[in-house]
Amino acid sequence: MVEIDSSLHLARPLGPASVGLQANTTPLTVQIQPQALFSILDHSSRRPPDQHRVIGTLLGTRSDADDSSITIHSSFAVGHTETTDQVEVDMEYQKAMLQLHMRANPKEVLVGWYATSSELNTFSALIQNHYSSQGEGTYPFPAVHLTVESKPGKDVEVRAYISSAVGVTPERAADSAAFVPVPYSINYSEADRSGVESLEGAKEAESRTTGIMTDIESLEKSLEDTLGMLDRVSKYVEGVIEEEEEPSTALGQFLLNTLALAPKVDPSDIEKDFNNHIQDVLTVSYLANMTCYGAVDDGWRRGWQPARRRQEAE
Amino acid sequence: MTANLRVGGIVLPSARVKIISQEELHQDNENPLESPLPFIVRPSAMSTLEDQPPQAVQLEALTVMKTIKHCAARHPATATGFLVGMDNNGTLEVTNCFPFPIVDVPAEAQFEQQHFNSAAAAPRAKANAAYQAEMIRMQKEVGVDANNVGWYTSANLGDFVNSNFIENQYYYQKELNERTIALVHDISRSSQGALSMRAFRLSPQFMTAYKENKFTTEALLKSGLKYSEILVELPIRLHNAHNVTTFLNQIPSLLSKGEITPPTSVHSIESNPSIARDELGPNFDKLALNIDPFLQQTCDNLLDSVETHHVESNNFSYYSRALGREQQKIQQWQAKRKAENAARAISKQPPLPEDEWQKLFKLPTEPSRLESMLNSRQVEQYAKQVDGFVAGTSGKMFAVRGNLLPGEAGSSVE
Repeated sequence: MVEIDSSLHLARPLGPASVGLQANTTPLTVQIQPQALFSILDHSSRRPPDQHRVIGTLLGTRSDADDSSITIHSSFAVGHTETTDQVEVDMEYQKAMLQLHMRANPKEVLVGWYATSSELNTFSALIQNHYSSQGEGTYPFPAVHLTVESKPGKDVEVRAYISSAVGVTPERAADSAAFVPVPYSINYSEADRSGVESLEGAKEAESRTTGIMTDIESLEKSLEDTLGMLDRVSKYVEGVIEEEEEPSTALGQFLLNTLALAPKVDPSDIEKDFNNHIQDVLTVSYLANMTCYGAVDDGWRRGWQPARRRQEAE
Repeated sequence: MTANLRVGGIVLPSARVKIISQEELHQDNENPLESPLPFIVRPSAMSTLEDQPPQAVQLEALTVMKTIKHCAARHPATATGFLVGMDNNGTLEVTNCFPFPIVDVPAEAQFEQQHFNSAAAAPRAKANAAYQAEMIRMQKEVGVDANNVGWYTSANLGDFVNSNFIENQYYYQKELNERTIALVHDISRSSQGALSMRAFRLSPQFMTAYKENKFTTEALLKSGLKYSEILVELPIRLHNAHNVTTFLNQIPSLLSKGEITPPTSVHSIESNPSIARDELGPNFDKLALNIDPFLQQTCDNLLDSVETHHVESNNFSYYSRALGREQQKIQQWQAKRKAENAARAISKQPPLPEDEWQKLFKLPTEPSRLESMLNSRQVEQYAKQVDGFVAGTSGKMFAVRGNLLPGEAGSSVE
């Protein structure tokens, strides 16, 4: 998913920087790894029925040079209860979990927190101020607040914020904060792709389940995709020729460039290379099968023979 | 409105404790919109199937993604972690997973063998059992399924069948219960395009044999245990929660939907962020013809395994030769004793005991056949993998030939 809301960020608000420390005001971007999001979604579906939102801690890394980008790697749930005038967050639990998590992922640090509702209220400000506080919080870096709302029948809504202090009066400073939206993107790593692709197979199914594709099946799917693409392109080209579609010089040039990439090789060379290669490949396959069913079984049997001899001897 | 944040160890009201009960847990699991599924019958249904091992595995999207992330981050070292979930009428539902803690190893000690494999041995390490119990206890508080259902490991081109793997799974199936699995994520194969995840259990026959540690030829002959019967593979299904399905549908798939603004220049096509970021666009990695590195690597592994097999079988023939020699000696001794006794019988002396040879000679102990069994299983694994690779490549190669030599392909069809 790319950024939903486009936003212009010239400078980020001043964080709770102490006097004398150069405040960093470079714009901040947040990158979310799908694992963190999936685990927030999982937590959201496991929330107690009487709670309209649940919260948890976000963990990740900050870019080294300047803390202008934050990558959220993972998250864990933290229990909390909300009543009309009071919020309780199980900070003992959060500390213990953080410690457990650090043992397995020593490189990840606390970067912020999430809630499973898009609503920002006094409690959000309270928790946000706690997460960005000195000591246990992310101070001197800003704490990221991620809201992931998943309501039935609606799209999953993800928003990222950082906050700056708003001081009305000293008493009210603890439960007020100005949430500033920051741009975010969801980053799928190369390794995640195969996973997301497999999960996508269950997207349309009624049961929401799917099997894991075998090599041949996935090859078939790729081929079908390619054929579909080729069909689309030729349909478009036909449309342009028939003057039904808007022609585009750029697209035409791009297609021409792509067509120019087709190798021009002598048929006899192809035939030769093809035969050589297929022979190699088939030989390897043959030998592998021999090893599997022949040599191993044979060696196995040879292994048995002395045993039989010994039994006879006895 | 006044609000106060109370920080510290707060005992939360009973609402949190309540959600831990199983039925409720699974009701929560479903979207509130959905009509309550007949999950309530689960406990009673489960009790009848108490001792039935799981027949299939269902992985939640979260598990798949977390495993992939952890394995990829640790690559090429082995990554291991544990799985939580629950058994549902023979289907093991894996709903979450957690990595094992990293053991801090000083840099210079990393090359020593015992440290090098610390991650592979992690699932059965004592310290990790405590970590696991602690993590599960914590997760229980926030409503995650609090049953340990196995462990996962990363693999590289199917090289996971070794004694570590067996010991880990044995530990799980013995110490915990029968309803535990070993999940193997093959990073190298997944990087070719198709996700490669497999779930295994140890077969009951192998469990008994391993328990008694009887891997002598005789015991194996008697039990009829073969290398192909060590592991039982379980079919895997992937499952998405409702909100994950929504999320997946949201991922913009511009390429397949065709909602894209006309480009203004060639460069804008190549650098269009929505094309570069199209996660679910058709994946052409699978069409790459160049699988030779994979094939080569697998063949190398295969050859290594064959080598090991050779060493094992040499060991065995050495053993059988030694055994033969000893037996010959015993037979000689017995013949001699018999002759002696015959002579003594003539001279009316009491016969000497004939079973004294047991004290005089010591038969060599038979080497354990476990290693060679595992090795055979590994060879089978590699060979099948080569087969799979070859099937794919030859298909692709014929396609390429057909494409580059259209006339030829046409004539061959005729």
